[in-house]
Amino acid sequence: MNCVVEGNCVKAFGKAIHALARLGDDLWFDPNAKGLALRSVNSAHSGYACFLFSPLFFHRYNLPSATEKGNETIKCKLLMKSVLPLFRLPSIERNVERCQISIEEDLVKMKFFCKHGIIKTHNLRYQESDALEAVFSSHLCPNVLKAPAKLLSDMVMHFPVSQEEITLSISTGKVSLRNYYEGGNGCMKTMHTEMSLHPDEFDYFQVGSESDVTFCLKELRGLLSFAELHCLPVAVYFGAAGQPVCFSIEDMVLEATVVLATLIDCESRAPSQHTASALQTTARSTDEAVETVNPHDISAITEMVASSQGSPVHVPSHLLLLRPSQSSLPSGQGEPMETCAPAPSPAPSIVCSLLFKALSSLSEEDSATPPEVLVCFSDDEDSLGENVRRSPSL
Amino acid sequence: MKFRGKIIDIACLNHFTRVITTISKLTKTCVLRLTPDNLFFILSEKVANGGVSMWCELSQANFFDEYQMEGVTPEDNEICLEVAPENLSRALKTVQNAKALKLKLTKKHCPCLTLAADLPTLSAVSRAVTHDVPVDVIPRKLWHEFKEPHMPDFDVSIYLPPLKTIKNVVDRMKNLSNFLVLEANMSGEMNLKIETDLVSVTTHFKDLGNPPWDDGSQRDAEAMAQARLDIRRLQQFLTGQQVNPSKALCNLVHHRLLHLILLHEDVSLQYFIPTVA
Repeated sequence: MNCVVEGNCVKAFGKAIHALARLGDDLWFDPNAKGLALRSVNSAHSGYACFLFSPLFFHRYNLPSATEKGNETIKCKLLMKSVLPLFRLPSIERNVERCQISIEEDLVKMKFFCKHGIIKTHNLRYQESDALEAVFSSHLCPNVLKAPAKLLSDMVMHFPVSQEEITLSISTGKVSLRNYYEGGNGCMKTMHTEMSLHPDEFDYFQVGSESDVTFCLKELRGLLSFAELHCLPVAVYFGAAGQPVCFSIEDMVLEATVVLATLIDCESRAPSQHTASALQTTARSTDEAVETVNPHDISAITEMVASSQGSPVHVPSHLLLLRPSQSSLPSGQGEPMETCAPAPSPAPSIVCSLLFKALSSLSEEDSATPPEVLVCFSDDEDSLGENVRRSPSL
Repeated sequence: MKFRGKIIDIACLNHFTRVITTISKLTKTCVLRLTPDNLFFILSEKVANGGVSMWCELSQANFFDEYQMEGVTPEDNEICLEVAPENLSRALKTVQNAKALKLKLTKKHCPCLTLAADLPTLSAVSRAVTHDVPVDVIPRKLWHEFKEPHMPDFDVSIYLPPLKTIKNVVDRMKNLSNFLVLEANMSGEMNLKIETDLVSVTTHFKDLGNPPWDDGSQRDAEAMAQARLDIRRLQQFLTGQQVNPSKALCNLVHHRLLHLILLHEDVSLQYFIPTVA
């Protein structure tokens, strides 16, 4: 793969990497015909972000012409901390005129053509690794909000930068945001903040089912800041508590998505543990479901998607919850029993891991959702499976 | 116990926010005392603070358009709350453009000072924001700790040089020494001195002027009163200042105490720094 990013796009590219860095420690480069996708997943597998730059974004975008066996994809994983310092924002904007990225034998080569004829070349070794991609059917989400990035930034501005989690609530009359806190201890310390907006403030407001979803705000801020910089509207898709929430932005040459898992509130509140450990445990216990996902399972699950087009929120919650025991969990309510049990289990509020699939494993199998689908959001139901709107056809 | 206040004027809201932000830079927790006419932010002298104490007085009428309070009892018509001014400051900063700000004493998950604001938006409806700042109610038996401090029997009283100037000097002196000696006399002269094994540095100020207290005692105008201070305490005081005071002066009790007084039109701030040996 060989591509060149020119001028202002270098800054946008750098900002995208900064946004991805908020989530995970690894960065996946996934160049394909649709463009260059940069992905990141957080360590607990509860947050996923992807920036897809279409070929139009680049001054030049070349993929290797011959592909062996038809499904040779470049699976390239880099350490975020190697890439992030290359795109330090103030200097990128001021000094770099052009950036050339090429993926060779076992290296990602980044050449920065700077002012005064200086060329900086960075060779980064990459690991071959399947990128994870969150499976999320946004068109099945009952609740949809669309608003300019500025509105969302104004909403989250009321919360301190250190605020980890917030709860977004939607009902017919209003949308509200409040900070999330685990009850019980440290009453003196926590300040509660809540803000609410009228549906009229949004460009698009759809409430299919009143719900409250709690997710990690910190991981979202990078995308919001990117969207605000480019004055792009942000779309939010979510359902009941427990189902992931998806934030997405797009314009002519790029798309970005952040999918965050949300908490299920457990009724019996055990003494709170640090959420991080809960996330770890959740991820570990669902390791099986994630890692050993085999084509057989995937097609079974995607079949469920296909056959339940018209059905309510129930089905997505089956899809997106990974806890094996919760096959009959309705709409994210009720108690996940063993997680609320004492001693061995983690904190009462459980973040559901996102259902991930490895990109490569799906290229043969997939029926309803093609592998490169990031977020299949579309205004009409019938464009499920169509990828045309993603990037202009070349 | 009840308290409700409303601020409508943006300038008042702004000023109020700056005062609270200044307080938040001086201390992590303090006592908010509400009386029918005033609000006080009080930090009482404790070993944990290094013996520093603070008294900040605001006249409620200068900030609030509406102000109603009912104290613990009709005889003790006051409310004393322990609060983290940082929380108040953070909450206030987010609502600077509010059409109206209401403050109320409420009981939510614990006793709280609730700030509720209506923010203007592009559409017809306003946006509502609520911050619940947790507070601790202070029982009457402890109220004696939060009485107005007496004016110390000072040896010298002198107007301060511009705070920014002192801050610059103190910031640089801090790199050299942990202790600073502040001395002044009744002839408008002040010196800031540090002394270490290797170096001693003195900054001289003159023509500062002395406030016209009617103290009656005859004191040699040239005699310097000295206070040896932990430099960090002085630096913390200077760093926090957000508002330029209309009057800034200090009283020195020789080898005992530095008493700093900042006056704005509607706010007065007193800060006491004890000397170290």
